[in-house]
Amino acid sequence: MTTFYDEVQELRARYPEGSRSAVLPALRLAQERHGWLSREALEETADALEVTPAFCYSIATFYDMLHLEPVGRHTIDVCTNLPCALCGAQEVVEAFESELGIRAGETTPDGEVTLRAVECLGGCGYATVVAVNDRYRQHVRPETVPEILGELDGGT
Amino acid sequence: MAEHKVLLAGTDERDLTQLAEYRAIGGYRGVDKARAMTPDALIEELQQANLRGRGGAGFPMGRKASLIDRKSPKPKYLVVNADESEPGAFKDREVMAKAPHRLIEGCLIAAHAIESTDVFIYIRGEYLAEYEILAAAVEEAREAGLFGDVRITVHRGAGAYICGEETALLESLEGKRGQPRPRPPFPPIQGLYMAPTQINNVCTIATVPAILELGAEEFAKTGVPSSPGTAIFSISGNVVQPGNYELDLGTPMRELIYEHAGGIAGGRELKAVIPGGSSVPALTPDQIDVPLDYDSLGAIGTFFGAASLIVVDDRCCMVQLAIRSTKFYAHESCGKCTPCRVGTRWMVQILESIENGTATHADLELLDSVGDNILGKVLCALGEFAVYPVASYLHKWRDEFVAHIEQGGCPFGNSSSLDGILAPSDMHAHTPAGEEALV
Amino acid sequence: MSTELVRVTIDERDVHVPKGTGIVETALAAGVEIPVFCYEPRLGAPVGACRMCLVEVEGMPKLQTGCTLTAQDGMVVKTARTSEKAAGGERATLEFILVNHPLDCPVCDKGGECPLQDLTFRYGPGNTRMSFDKLTFEKPIPISPTISLDRERCILCYRCTRFSESVSEDGQLVAANRGALSVITTFEDLPYTGAFTGNVTELCPVGALLPTQYRFEGRPWEIVEVPTVCGLCPVGCNIHATVREGKVKRILSRNHPEIDEGWICDKGRFAYTHLRAEDRLAQPLQRLRRHGLEQVSWEQAIDEAERLFRAARGRIVTVLSGSETVEQAYALGKLLRVGLDSHQATLPEEISGGLDAYRLPLSSIRSADVVVVLGDVPVAERAPVVDLWIRSARRNGARILDDANDPAVAEAERVVLIWSGPGGRGSTTVAKLAEKLGLAEREGCGAFYLPETPNGRGVADAWAACCDEEGGPIDSIGLLVVSGDEAAADENVRALAEQAEATIVLSMFGGLSAGWADLVLPGTSYLERDGTFVNLEGRLQRLRRTVTPPCPDELEWIAELAARFDVDVAPYAAAVFAEVSERVYGGLAFGEVGERAPLRGYPEAQEHVAREALPEPRGKPRRRSEVRLVAYKPLFSGAAVERVTELQFQRPQPELELSPEDAQRRKIATGDLVTVGSNGSAITLPARVNRHLRAGIARVALEHANGLQGIVELAKAEEVTA
Repeated sequence: MTTFYDEVQELRARYPEGSRSAVLPALRLAQERHGWLSREALEETADALEVTPAFCYSIATFYDMLHLEPVGRHTIDVCTNLPCALCGAQEVVEAFESELGIRAGETTPDGEVTLRAVECLGGCGYATVVAVNDRYRQHVRPETVPEILGELDGGT
Repeated sequence: MAEHKVLLAGTDERDLTQLAEYRAIGGYRGVDKARAMTPDALIEELQQANLRGRGGAGFPMGRKASLIDRKSPKPKYLVVNADESEPGAFKDREVMAKAPHRLIEGCLIAAHAIESTDVFIYIRGEYLAEYEILAAAVEEAREAGLFGDVRITVHRGAGAYICGEETALLESLEGKRGQPRPRPPFPPIQGLYMAPTQINNVCTIATVPAILELGAEEFAKTGVPSSPGTAIFSISGNVVQPGNYELDLGTPMRELIYEHAGGIAGGRELKAVIPGGSSVPALTPDQIDVPLDYDSLGAIGTFFGAASLIVVDDRCCMVQLAIRSTKFYAHESCGKCTPCRVGTRWMVQILESIENGTATHADLELLDSVGDNILGKVLCALGEFAVYPVASYLHKWRDEFVAHIEQGGCPFGNSSSLDGILAPSDMHAHTPAGEEALV
Repeated sequence: MSTELVRVTIDERDVHVPKGTGIVETALAAGVEIPVFCYEPRLGAPVGACRMCLVEVEGMPKLQTGCTLTAQDGMVVKTARTSEKAAGGERATLEFILVNHPLDCPVCDKGGECPLQDLTFRYGPGNTRMSFDKLTFEKPIPISPTISLDRERCILCYRCTRFSESVSEDGQLVAANRGALSVITTFEDLPYTGAFTGNVTELCPVGALLPTQYRFEGRPWEIVEVPTVCGLCPVGCNIHATVREGKVKRILSRNHPEIDEGWICDKGRFAYTHLRAEDRLAQPLQRLRRHGLEQVSWEQAIDEAERLFRAARGRIVTVLSGSETVEQAYALGKLLRVGLDSHQATLPEEISGGLDAYRLPLSSIRSADVVVVLGDVPVAERAPVVDLWIRSARRNGARILDDANDPAVAEAERVVLIWSGPGGRGSTTVAKLAEKLGLAEREGCGAFYLPETPNGRGVADAWAACCDEEGGPIDSIGLLVVSGDEAAADENVRALAEQAEATIVLSMFGGLSAGWADLVLPGTSYLERDGTFVNLEGRLQRLRRTVTPPCPDELEWIAELAARFDVDVAPYAAAVFAEVSERVYGGLAFGEVGERAPLRGYPEAQEHVAREALPEPRGKPRRRSEVRLVAYKPLFSGAAVERVTELQFQRPQPELELSPEDAQRRKIATGDLVTVGSNGSAITLPARVNRHLRAGIARVALEHANGLQGIVELAKAEEVTA
């Protein structure tokens, strides 16, 4: 089995020697393994990249897709930027909130689902766009929310 | 006028994500043509085509290539900006999803022009499906031996709008926080890894094969003389048929809104059009006969930008529009330069006080002045992107702002289409050791 | 930078500067100040973040940042002094900077010496237009026991994080988050640890990063900054001691561009509170029958010293610390050698005058093509600032090697050798190596030995110069004179004391000499002395008395004692120096040593140090499996550091550093317990695999070595079940 360390070395090999370009792919890999970028995940990544954990933390906090707090097994990101907002994104957020019983920004108490409002996902013509576990669902309306959540339950 | 598909040509009929399909319509012939030319001749051809950058700034692509310090002993890099993040824009995504080989072919041609063997495509992290399609296409083309000694690396971002700014993108690609660099030095002299670097948007590079196919002279005849070619226009918001439409540059805006996109949805009235993505000054309904090209839009005080129109109907409160827009730019401010980092947050505070009725007339002047203090003083354009639209709302819909102050609250009551809209920055922010910044 | 001169017009004044000069500097040359916050040339390329330096440039539509712009011929620049547009930019930036900045100047330690406060007074708005809630944070928070961070005051100029990233290269202090929520932080609130952290408190242009020791300790109008030189290591960084009401309250750097470039280490910055240590001696102590050491008057102590000296004439052995001033060492040497015919002295190390042929200012390391660092002791532990010069050289493209036989050394134009090994004869070795490589009189080439003592060279020169006679061997030690805290803390010296009939200790601290001295004479600190030091470059520098010591100066009572033996010793450093200088420093006057001393050549100095035979640089060829343990004296150790509570977190962990090769051979991973043994004694320590360590070398801090040194057996410790 290849270790995390080895995989990071492969990532590093894609970029010029001495560069830190592999930090984003490495952090993404660490997040896939740990679910979020815990202290241990950041330390492990730093070690593999031969940088400090503080450096990894600094990078991770700059990017919205890297989680510095635990997230649910499923993530639901609802775009609430202008084009989606003009087409009723808030109602979609509220539908998720009431179905899940949490506010945007929170994770269900069972640790299953994290709901977030996010900035533009680049699907403005197909409002409202919701990224379910990073896969886009387009033309989401409040009525389609139960269906989306139902698919989660039926999934992994 | 019907759509004129160049970038998206063939995508309705074929699955162009497959190499064989793309080759069946003549794909990758441009690479052979290009490689038969000297880099100098190729750059000359590109300059003659006068293809203007589709990323927003409209800088001619061929001229950019001519600025590359090709004599430098360092490697030369071609970087494709696929970090499409401007609210309203979703055209690069469609090119990558439907015609990835056209982008790859463009990369190979452009790389030959600047004598580069290293190409990076920086794709925004959220575009997962598009990344998978593009990465597979790169792999397929590489295995087919089309690359020669060129290496194409698809590098994923991780969620930061600012990385669409070219120097922030380079920083991010180098593994740093995506904060813009001061210029000079400019990327063609000192870009990625301190080496000469050409950076272009997806649609720009994906147009390059068409130049080789038609020849620069023919290409330059399409569109309008100052802006040859087609552009994919993303149109979103309150229209009947939102989506991407590839049209010749110079097509009237009214035609796009009312013919292609089917007009305003639900029989509502048009109130505003933000023509280049959410960062540009908005237009009023009486301004929409403008031709969609760089110079015509510039002439009426706005920008071509990302060729992305957000159409706003009459249910929308312009103060709420300004708040949501500014919250976005404040959230995406990288934090490096003072006016943007501080000013965008201050603007949100002023706008919220207007919306909730606690502002005075002087606060309108303050909003204007804070905006003025950002414009022209920031390190990159993001801070200005926060100001341009808000300044236009304030000046063109001033009565509505004044009404908020005089009525002590929003004249729309709770009926605005943006009422209560949540922004990510409204959710609590992560700060070190879990403590909350008291924003 | 090119040597081509270009003409630039700044506010209608023409000035000629080398092409590429920064506009901030160009303006200064024209006598115009462009205010800055983030700009700090020592931190590398300018970043243009704060926007304070906006200027109008003819032909450019937008305002430009003066810090990032460089001089081109014919450039016409208007600063805020002559351009309304630039003034608008300056006002706007200052207003933005102040929007979230709290108005707590009256309780801020930076108040009165704060660039933000100064620029606000000069160019800022009279009132605020910000009527909303400012960003608030918990304040202040410790980022280490020595540094406090107030995030509300932070203006995010990123000077501190740039220092951490590209000067000290420790990568611990970083920016987190984005936009308005950006903050300066360490990882998981771990303390900011390292040799150089305190520099960020001086770089900070506001009161965000402040030295905790100085919190509420002084106001700029109550303090005096006394220029002197740090006496805690052989670099001799130039410093200011902040003095208030007769007490040292703070140490600041005092940029000597050839030595320290304005960076000082945390030991030099934060250890000054040892001056007020609990066991600091002000009165002499004398062993009285059955009572042990008791406080006695100075008169009584001097009488007792005289008695002990007379009883042991010709049989006195002196142990020097290498932290004495040149003048102290000379005066003491003259008393003992001329007055008492006692010539024997030991220093913890030898420092070869052979190095004088390869002298260079430390700053020239930066321009080297190759730097060879030999000896396996981390440079930062011995001579911290030298480590920064080496890092700077690496950033400039130099190769840093650990083997002088590397072919790159012979090919390179500018070669610098640095010996950073434990004790012994390193300076001779490196001098011979330099000779072998033919580095003498080659531009940009030179050699440094990093001594363990701050003034070992000066002390050796002075001791040698004070008397022309040489003594013969002695058969018994009548009196052992232990000079200084380093000698007093040395186990070997204490063992020697047991052989002596009597022992006099000169020490600052009672704790060092309680059990074994017969007479203890209180000593002074480098911050309390007037005199000179010779640093590792061979540079003679001037120490100043920044505060009055709680006891008489050493020279005072040495002179008094000397008079009793008919030896003429002046009680003033200037007069003693004049005598030393005649013999060693070419007659240079005390007053000419200089506030920022130049690197001079002193040919006479070499005569005192005999040329020695070339020893084998590396010893015998190593067996593949053999491991040599290097037990190094850590930077954060010694009598002063031990007395500063807030520096204890900086002391080295008990751990053994191993090369990846040696670790792999023994299947040892970081964190595993390792047993290190030699001649029957053994220690067990957690391992840390260090990719930068050579194979065959293991490293441990002296205080965790339990006396082990040299070739050792090394194995993974057996699992011990509880």
